[in-house]
Order: sequence, then structure tokens, then C-alpha cells
Amino acid sequence: MAPHASLNTSDISEKARRDLLQLLEGVRGKKNLVLEKALAGPLNLLVKFSTLQEYGVDKPFFLENDNVDSSQRNIVFLVRGEKAKTVMAVANQIKRLRNKGQIDHEFSIFWVPRRTMVSDQILEEAGVLGEANVTECPLYFIPLAEDLLSLELDDCLSDLYLRKDPTSVYLSAKALMLLQQKHGVFPRIIGKGDNAKRLADLLIRMRTELTASESSNGGGTSFLGLTPSSSIDSLIIIDREVDFPTVLLTQLTYEGLIDEVFGIQANQTEVDSSIVGAAPQQPSQNAGSASVAPQALKRKIAIDSKDTLYNTLSDSNFAIVGNLLNKVARRLQSSYESRQIASKSTAELREFVAKLPGYQAEQASLKLHTSLAEEIIKHTRSELFTRPLEVQQNIMSGADPTTQHDTIEELIDRAIPLSTILRLLCLESCTNAGMRAKDLENFKRAVLHGYGQQHLLTLSSLEKMGLLTTRSSGLGGAAAKPGSVTNYTSVRRSLRLWDDEVNEADPNDISYVFSGYASLSVRLVQSIVQKHYLAALVRPAGQQAAAAAQGWRLFEDAAKNIRGATFDETQTGEEKAVKARQMLNGAGHADSGKTVVVFFLGGVCRAEIAALRFVAKKLAEGGGKRLLICTTAIVKGDGVVGAAIETGRFGTGV
Amino acid sequence: MSKPTANWEKVGDRFYRKVQLYTAVFDQDLELENYIVVGAPYSGAVAIYRDEEKLHSYRGTQAAKSSIDIYSCAGKLIRRINWDKGSIKGLGWSEDEKLLVVTEDGTVRCYFDLQGDFVPFTLGHGAEEYGVQSCRFWSSGFVALLGNNHLISVSRYDEPRPKLLAIPPTDPVVSWSIIPPAYSLSRSVEAILAIGKTVYVVDATDAEDRELPAGPFRHISVSPKGEFLAFYTEDGKVWVVSGDWTEKLSEYDSRAKTVPRDMQWCGSNAVALAWEDEVHLVGPKGAATKFYYDAWVHLIADMDGIRLLTNDICEYIQKVPDVTEEVFRLGSTSPAPVLLEAAEQLEKKSPKADDLIQLIRLNLAEAVDTCVKAAGHEFNIHWQKQLLKAASFGKSVLDLYNSDDFVDMCETLRVLNAVRFYEIGLPLSYDQFKRLTPDKLIERLINRHEYFLALRISDYLHLPTDKIYVRWASQKVRVSTEDEESICRLIVQKLHGKQGVSFEEIARSAYDEGRARLATELLNYEPRAGKQVPLLLGMKEDTIALDKAIESGDTDLIFHVLLHLRKKLPLAGFFRTINSRPVATALVESTALHQDPELLKDLYYQDDRRLDGSNLLISEALNQLDTNSRIEKLKLAAKLLQDSRDHTLQFKAIDETQRLLKMQDAFEKDLGPGFAGLSINETMFKLIKLGNMKRAQKVQSEFKVTEKTYWWIRLRALVVKRDWNELEEISKTRKSPIGWEPFFNEILSAGNTRLASNFIPKCTTLPVSDRIEMWVKCGLVVKAGEEALKAKDRNSLEVLKSKATGSAVHEIDRMIGQLSSPRR
Repeated sequence: MAPHASLNTSDISEKARRDLLQLLEGVRGKKNLVLEKALAGPLNLLVKFSTLQEYGVDKPFFLENDNVDSSQRNIVFLVRGEKAKTVMAVANQIKRLRNKGQIDHEFSIFWVPRRTMVSDQILEEAGVLGEANVTECPLYFIPLAEDLLSLELDDCLSDLYLRKDPTSVYLSAKALMLLQQKHGVFPRIIGKGDNAKRLADLLIRMRTELTASESSNGGGTSFLGLTPSSSIDSLIIIDREVDFPTVLLTQLTYEGLIDEVFGIQANQTEVDSSIVGAAPQQPSQNAGSASVAPQALKRKIAIDSKDTLYNTLSDSNFAIVGNLLNKVARRLQSSYESRQIASKSTAELREFVAKLPGYQAEQASLKLHTSLAEEIIKHTRSELFTRPLEVQQNIMSGADPTTQHDTIEELIDRAIPLSTILRLLCLESCTNAGMRAKDLENFKRAVLHGYGQQHLLTLSSLEKMGLLTTRSSGLGGAAAKPGSVTNYTSVRRSLRLWDDEVNEADPNDISYVFSGYASLSVRLVQSIVQKHYLAALVRPAGQQAAAAAQGWRLFEDAAKNIRGATFDETQTGEEKAVKARQMLNGAGHADSGKTVVVFFLGGVCRAEIAALRFVAKKLAEGGGKRLLICTTAIVKGDGVVGAAIETGRFGTGV
Repeated sequence: MSKPTANWEKVGDRFYRKVQLYTAVFDQDLELENYIVVGAPYSGAVAIYRDEEKLHSYRGTQAAKSSIDIYSCAGKLIRRINWDKGSIKGLGWSEDEKLLVVTEDGTVRCYFDLQGDFVPFTLGHGAEEYGVQSCRFWSSGFVALLGNNHLISVSRYDEPRPKLLAIPPTDPVVSWSIIPPAYSLSRSVEAILAIGKTVYVVDATDAEDRELPAGPFRHISVSPKGEFLAFYTEDGKVWVVSGDWTEKLSEYDSRAKTVPRDMQWCGSNAVALAWEDEVHLVGPKGAATKFYYDAWVHLIADMDGIRLLTNDICEYIQKVPDVTEEVFRLGSTSPAPVLLEAAEQLEKKSPKADDLIQLIRLNLAEAVDTCVKAAGHEFNIHWQKQLLKAASFGKSVLDLYNSDDFVDMCETLRVLNAVRFYEIGLPLSYDQFKRLTPDKLIERLINRHEYFLALRISDYLHLPTDKIYVRWASQKVRVSTEDEESICRLIVQKLHGKQGVSFEEIARSAYDEGRARLATELLNYEPRAGKQVPLLLGMKEDTIALDKAIESGDTDLIFHVLLHLRKKLPLAGFFRTINSRPVATALVESTALHQDPELLKDLYYQDDRRLDGSNLLISEALNQLDTNSRIEKLKLAAKLLQDSRDHTLQFKAIDETQRLLKMQDAFEKDLGPGFAGLSINETMFKLIKLGNMKRAQKVQSEFKVTEKTYWWIRLRALVVKRDWNELEEISKTRKSPIGWEPFFNEILSAGNTRLASNFIPKCTTLPVSDRIEMWVKCGLVVKAGEEALKAKDRNSLEVLKSKATGSAVHEIDRMIGQLSSPRR
């Protein structure tokens, strides 16, 4: 990769793995491992189950199942300690095992990612603190791909926007601090959104606090570590709240659709084995899954960049995936045949045989993706998919939303899944600064009638999250505080959010991922890192701006029309140190190879990732910066509204 | 300059040296013979305490007050601890210079900073009853012997947990000693008791008779690393036994009539016996040498040697280190002495220097190394310099030499010489310094209030200095008599801009001293909000603590404070506190949701958040098991909202829910289970599916369900029921609020093409092409053709022709013909 690629995601996973295994090693002998379900995915990404076994793990259990037994003396809990609920669960299980009292158990608790005072307090009150060895396992960022780090905080969305619990902001800050300590301070922190601002403030505060607790010795590595980084250009923080519509839309990239249709958890998707065939022929695809349940009718498939075919497909618009698959199939076919004819000499034959496993793997992957794609096509052909998509496209292109109401009502009458309906309603509300009171009331009634009265709670949660609101009765923008809602009509123009001439096969703009809509969040990133491009796009004939614009320059007005705080902070270091750094790295080529860290607070969807990768590719072509995407979790529309949906029902008998 | 070998003594084939560290140590009036003297490891402080069992002359009431005095090795009084807490049965030091005082009743005081601050704990296990007889200390713990021969061990002082060891026989103990856990075979402390004629080894689990019937042994001593044991027998002999008890290594006959007062190991290779003014040093194989003093002498064993203390002098006896021996021993043939000689010649500007260098040219690097190391072991500054000079000369001749060791040694020696200075009185040997580590040395200096020296050494060795500043300031806060403002100013002025200084710690000591205002003031300078919280909580500044926790952004900390407040404050006060702080409220809400819904109810009530309160009741209703209690909860929820005008929709919906639940109950009675929990639409759906049109319509009118919705539901339900007749009936009606296309689609996807086709002609609003498509979907190409014909769409006909089979082809042909003919 680039010679300056000092920010390497594989280092992070390597370190996380080492930390974890070291902790496991610290518990002598065989042990049973009790996992929180949410941690199974990340754990699986880091270590194979066979490795865990080498480190003495006998059987894994899920905390939620509450079924850990006394088969081993050592019991290790690997859980997140931020929530009182999980801590209580741990305490209760320890008590349960203790009361059974057959064996004198040795308990260890590894809190991820840190030991909290509250957990100590709760364990103490439960009377088990003295019996457990408590340590922390600093598992923050989990690399999902070379350019993608995730904290895998699944509850982040509901915590942050529904319950207004800023734990995830704090954890994000911690994680980013670790990056800063390793690679130097982000020279610039730019961002959009109230929570993003909070995160930036926290980062700046943590820096001063860290400097304060650093020892004042000269020449330590830590001292240099807190000067502005030479390998990182800036940090861009985008608050999910700024751009809910993007995640509410149906994702149209291949990976996005896999997520929509089958769901992806920590680079794994579970597909009915009738679709892709059972029997995982490759051990690498299935080994290491920490699932306790025996292999059922579902098959787990690793969805990651190790699969070269998948790499070419994942970020393409689904419309062209069929073609791509066709091409690959034909190429494989022809090369296979030509080889057979050409394989005359033994040398060639040997070469061919050597390549055979590669071909077989590719063949298998081709087969897999063809069947997946077929299944997805089946799905996309159904009205359940096309009608909502139509509504989405109309809303995003700026059509009067009231024209869509009939369709939405009909969809409710047809009892399509609630999440789809809520996505549409929220989409309308978000893009139009709320719904007309009367319309909203009607829809609320329709939803209650259609899906059950318990959704009174769902609707009120959505309102709390700011996803489904009444339009303020004032006369439009004048009455509303600036920055409290996004004015899409103006932003659509100033950032060119809708692209009529979208080209899906050979994309020229990020709008390809949604077949027309260019997501606001990515446009915001572009307005910082790709100013020229975006300026030219928005005002083709307009005057070109000054070359060295930084931060929000040129797009301040656009940013003003979007909800949430806008900020742009620079972090400087001591001049001497900065100079020393520059000397060390050699002056000159300022931008090349530097990394821009894009942090999505509250989650990012796969289509956005695809769009950002597109941006990154363009940047790389210009010999410029690299993009590193970081997020609290990967989300999709169903997850966003799912955070609000009440799962209880009146009548448990059914 | 005296020769470096002047103080060497040969014991057997080894050399020992006696280094005079300090003179004029104690006041001549001090009757050292009447005192118990114990010294801390690594040349640490010395504590003396008047031995209660000895008579002493009466010197008026003043002197009769007993005290424990802590001196430096050079005799500087560091601290006097007045003692009136009863008879001291154990006095000892830990590795980190904590002074332990064990009284007869089993109370232990751990003085942790040389300045009289202590932490007390008690031994228990019957110590009070039987009384402590004596104690033996090791680097991080001690064992106490009780009157009933029980042994209690304490293995750490930060969290002391006295443990009873196995029970030995109750015969009187003649003498005893311990093997520290780090060096014992069982990895826990072992006590060696001389009882009767034999020796018992006691560990945590059993007391074993070693059957060494040569006793009684008057003294037992264990070498610093536990590899040897020394016994002094009744008949004046010293036995040395290997640590695993397998081998008797040597025997020495002291020929003394009286039993020596003390027997200690000198490093790991010699045993020192002390009588009143005479010391025997017994080396391997029973070789020995004797030293005579003109005053009472005390032995203080250390890890690599032994300190001797009299009123006048403080001496250090150790085995001459190998490198030193190599350099200075007469007749040494190694290259190092030659190098030393060469350097001396060079000073005299004699050409012999070069000759000598050439002589050892091949081994020069080795010689330099030896000189550097020997310099480290040298106490005499003159010889340190000579050796370093020699090393420096030697390495200048070498082409390639890594000077790191040399530089390190120069630095180390500077530090060692500084702390050996009599005003400091820490006569560390090189090995002790390496074992102690510079950090601990700084710690010792801080404990002695030698802040300036500690700072200088830290700077010199590139160690963190923040702790020194903090400790200085804490001490300042504690003892200064100035007014609080000027103290604060002074401290802030000094510490301003120093990194890593924890004002929180200073504030804490101010608070402990009772200066709350000063503490608050100092705390404001603490940059880490999170750090301030625990102290603030301790100071009962709850709201400030909460604010600081919120400021830090750490939700864990906020939680912590909240839990604390929740326990402390009455509910109303608690709510008032969190009320103005949205983050705190949010956190309380999100935890209480799962753990304490009642709290949440109160919170919502107090804040007049009716909607939230009602939602909470709804979710409770969801958890109820039967309809009546559900309705009860819903009623409560509705009641909360009834006065409010903003929530009419919510209110109505709750009302609807109650009615729906009642209706569903009724349906279940009549039609069987499965209704509870369904939505209104689903209820109608189910009713229609069961053929209960009337009731479905009743639901529709009851809840004012729109016609459109009703039609959709009826359509779907009928299709699922496969009630084609009913659908056919509907097809005869004139108008549908949802159009007829849905009928076509739904019925078609259910597979009934015949019925589906019935609806095609009714879809008049659709364009022709769509209708053609619909016909085709039903497999009725001819009908499609007719449609096309009506619309005069020739192209579609052509397309249809390709799809047609059998007779349909002709039909289509005919139609194409019809279309073309009029045109001609």
C-alpha cells in the first residue's frame, strides 16, 4: 500500500488479539468462557475458536442463555461492563454457580472495554466482588476491513438518540484517543452534529487531561505522541442525527442488499442453506464461529475482503452485479478450457495444477454469490420491495411527499412489515422537517390499527429520536431555530443531493449507490476533502474557489442549513516538537498518503461505506489522502427504526 | 590515599572488606547496649527502641518517656515516635521502608512514610489472649510467634490478612527464624523453630520435625536468598546446612563460652556472630576471622552484606566483589589491573602507559568492562575516579566500544555518592541500588523530605517528577501554618506548568488535614474532572461532584455519583438534583427502565412528564397476564393524559386499546382463542377468515376503519381463505374504493387465473398495455388480442403473436388482419 500507511488496521486487530489471549492465558488451566452475545461476532473476527481452545477454552456459553455449567473449575466472563443489566446478569450467574456449590469455582471477569466503578459497586452489593478476579480487556475498535473500524456497539443508536445516554460518545472518544496516542493528535477535527460536537469537545478535553497526567520527563515517546500527527490529516465526525434519511433508504449496493435481505453481523451473514447449499466445504468459512447451537438449516457465510470476487461486487450497485457475475463466470470458463488445451508440457501442467485450488475457490465463491444474487433478485422483484423504493426515490428527488401518502396507506393496508412502513414515514418526516399534524395523526392511527396498539410506544420513541415529528406550526424556516432541522430543499440544491443522470455501471459520482440520491453524510465529507470536485459539481460554470480552502470553507452556507452544531477545531502542538516531526518526516508533499479519519457517531450503513470508498478511490487517483472509516456500529434502516419498535404485545398467549 | 585493599580481610580463600561508612553516628550518651536496633533493607533507616527487659539508669521523667527513634545510617534523627501503647514485641522493616511495630496484644502498626503516619491492624487468631512473643520479618511480611507457639503470618501490608500457620508442639521455642515465601520450596512462608533438641519446619499446612537432634540450637539464621541455614549449637558451634536440608556444608567452632548475642548472614556466603564487642565472621568451610570493637556492636543484615553499628561508627562488611578482587588483589594477572596501572602512568606522563596498553591490547575491552564494574562497587570516591579514568583511557584506545555501560555507571555513581553523603545517610551498595531501583530510591528520599535532592536525581535520571511535587505540596499543606490563601498561592505558583501534577492528591491531604476550603480551592486546579469526583464525594460536595462527573463525559463516573446520591438523598431531593442536568436524568431513566420502574414513575410524576408516565404504564400493561389487569393499567395510563390537550391522539388510542381488548376477549369466548394481542386490522382479518363478516363490520364501525382499509383486509382474508365465491360476488359490485387491480393481483398470485381474469375488464383506469399484460398473465392471449384490437395497437398484437400457441395464433393473425384492412 502507500508508503506512509502508518495507520494500519491490522495492527489494531493484532493488538486486540494479543491482549485477549494474554488475559486468557492468565487464567491457568481449562476454562469455560461466558460471552455476551454481542461480543461473539467481534471475538470471531479476532480469533478462531481453535485458537481459543489452544488457550484452554473448553466450552463457550452465552451470557444471555444463563446456562453455564460446572464442567470446569475456571469460569471466564467476557462481557461489556457499561450497563447495569449485564453486570447484574454476571453477578446472578456467579451466585447461581456458587449456590450449587459442587465445585469451588474460580471466576474471572474480563470487562470489555474497561472496568467500571459501577460494575464494582454492583458486584460488591451482590456479594461476589471478592470472589472474582476482575480485569479489563481493552477491546475498542474492531477492524472489519482494511479501511473500516467499528466499535461494534450494537445498542449505540437507541442509547444515543432514544435514551440520550452518552456512553457511546465516551467510548468513542476513548477509542479515538488510543488512535491519537499511537499516531499523534488529529491536526484538525471537523464535524457536524450536536453529539459530534460533544465528542470533539471530549477529545480535546481528554488531550489536556492526558497531557496533565503524562509525566514531565523529556524525550519520552508519549511526549512526541501528543503532537499533531504527521500521518493523519484530520478527523471528520459525522453525527448520525445529521443524516438519518440515508440510513432509512433501502441500500442498493450488493453488500447493502445482502444486509437488507439476510443481515450481516460482524462480517458474517446467515443464509438458509437451501439457497446456498449446506456443507461448508471450506473450513475457513465456518471455523471459529462461537455459536453453541449445532449447525441448523442456516449457514454462516463470511462476507469480507478476503474473497476477491466479493471485493469486486460488494460496493457495486446491484443493478450491475448480474453482469459482473456473468463476466467472471465466462472468464473462469474460458481460462479453464484454454488451460486444458494448453496444458501440454509437464511444466505447464504443474503450473496449472498449482493454480487449481485458486480456481476452485473462485468457482465456489462464484457459485455462492450467484445463488445469493438470485435470491436477492427474487426479493427485489416483489412489490414489497419496489413500491417502497418508488416512494423513497420520489421523496428524495424532492417530489411533494403528500403525493406518496396513498401508496404508503395502501402498503399499510397490505400489512407489509412494520419496519418498512416506519422507514418511509420517518424518511418523509426527516426530509421535510416533520409531517403535517393531520397527516401524521392519520398515519399514526393507521399504524396502530394495522400493527397493534402497543406501537403507541414505538411511535412515541420515534418522536423522541426525532425521526417522526410534527412540523412546527411556525411559518417554515423563519420560526425554527437555525440548525435544529435540516432544510432539504436548499441543501438538495447546494450539495446536489439528487443526481438525475446517475450511471450505475460506470459510476462517476457517489449517487450511484442509491441510484440517484447522493447521501448527505458523504456529501459533507466530500465538502471537506473534495472541495474542487463538489464545487464544480454544484456550480458547473461558477467561479472556482481559492485553492487552499480548508475546513468548511465554501460550504458554510450549506452546513448552516443542516441540523446540528458545525465545528472546526485545530489541535496544535508545541512548536518545537512539530518542527522536529517535520524534520523527521521531511518537508514537502504535504498531503500525499495522509489519512483522513471519518468517524460516524451512531453508525454508518454499508451503502455509505461504498460511497466513501468511491470517494477514497477518487482521492487516491489524485495522489491524495487516504480515508479510514470508523464508526460505533454498522446500521441499516431496519435497525434504526427497530431501536424504537416495541416488541411486546397485548396477549402473551399468542 | 590508602590502598583499596587496606580494609580487606582474608577468610579462608575469600576476601571480605569492612567499609567504614560513617563515624560519630550516635550520641555518646546513648546506651546502645540497652536498645533494640533494627535496620531497613537496602541500607535504609534504623529504628531503635529501648529494650524493656534491660535495666537502665534513671534520668528523670523526661528520658523515661519511651519512644521509637528512627535514624538514618549516619545517625541523623529522622523521626521520633512517642510510644505509650504497651510493650513492643516486634519491630521490623519492610522492603519499601515501612516500619512495623507489633505489640504484645497483637496490634500492628504499619508506619508507611517514616513520618509517623500509620495504618493499624490486629493479628487476631488468639494473639490477644496468648500475647505475641516475638516476630520475624521479611521483605513484604512477617510472622509472629504467640505465647502458645502458634504462628501468625502476614504476607502483605496493603491488605493485611493474618493467617494462622500449622500448629507446632507447645514446648518452649529456643530460637526461630523464617524462610521468606519467595525462597521457600512451598512458595509460602516457612518458619523454622528450634524446640527442645530438634528443629521444626512449619508452613501453612503442616509442622514437620526435621530430626536434627544436635540441639538445642540457640540461634537460627536463614541466608538472604534462603539457600543456606545457619544454626548455633549449645556447645558453641555454627552449622551451615543447605536450604533443602540435604547437606551439612560446614561447621565452625567458636570456642566461646557465652552464647553470642546475635547471628546474622553476611550476604549469602558468610555468617556473622556478634558478642558484646566482638564479631566473628565465618566463611565457607569453617574459616573465620574476628573483629574487635571498643563498644557494643549491633548487626544489621542486608541482601549483600551486613552493617555493623556502634555508637561511633557505621561499617559495612561484604565479600569483596569479584571484579574488585580482580582489579586490586595483589598478584592478579587479569588485564584490568594493568589498565589501571597504565592510566596511572599516563597521569605521570610516562611512556610506560603505552607499553602496558600494548601488553593487554587483546583483552582491552574486557579490562575496560572490569574497571567500569569495579568502579561501581567502590565506596571510595578516589578509587571510583581512578577506575573510571582507567576505563576511559582504555576505551579511547579501542576502535569500537559501546560506551553505554560507562555512561550509565558514571550516572549511577553520581547518584550513589549523593545519597551516601552523611546528611542523607543512605549508604547503598551498587547491587543494592540495582535491586532497589531508582524509583524506590526517589520514594525513600521523598519520605525523608529530601525533595530537592529527589528532584535533582529524577531530572538527572530522566524519571518522572510529578510525584515529588505532589508529595511536597501535600506535606506543605499539612504542616504549613500560613493562611490558606497564601499556601494555595505558593503551591500553585510552584507547580504551575508542571506536567502530571495531581492536584487531587494535594487537595485530598488538605481535606484530610481538615482544611476543606483549601481542598476545594486546590481541587479547582485539577485538570482531570474525573479525578476530582471521588474526593468531592468524600467531601460531601455532591452536586459539584455530579457536575464534574458530567463534565468528564464518563458515564461510568456519572453513574457512580448517581448511585451514591440515590442512596444518600431523599427521593425528592434526588430528583431535584438531577432535574437540571439532562445527562444525569437520561442516565437515571435508562437504568431505571429495567431495574426500578417505580423510581421512574415517581420521576415522571414529579417532572410532570405525563406522556412518559403513561407510556411506562402502557409497557407495564403489556407485561400483564390477563385482560382485566391490562385494562386496569391502561386506565391509569389514560388518566394521566385526560387533562392534557396535547395528547388527545394518545388518549384516544389508549381508549381504543381497552375497547379492542374487551372485544377480543368476547371473540375468544365465542370463536376460540387467538384474538388477544392482534391489531385492529388483524382482528378483522381473522374474523373474515373465520367467515364472521358481521363482526368484522362491527369492528370496522367501532374503530372507524376506512373503507379502503376494510376492502384490502377483506380481499386479503378472502384470498387466504380461498373463498372464491365471495370474491366473485364482490366482482359484481360496481365500485371499489381501492380499484380492481389489487383484486386481480392478489387472486392471480393465489393461482386462480379464471377469477382473476374477471377483474381485468373492471380495471378501466389502467392503460391498455397493462391490461394486455394482465390478460397474458392469466394465459388468455386471445383476450389480450381483443384488448389490443380495441385499442388498435398493432405492435402489441405482433408481440402477442409470438407468445401465442395453437389456435390462438390464428386468432391473433385474424385480428392483425382486421387492424390492417381498414387502413388499406
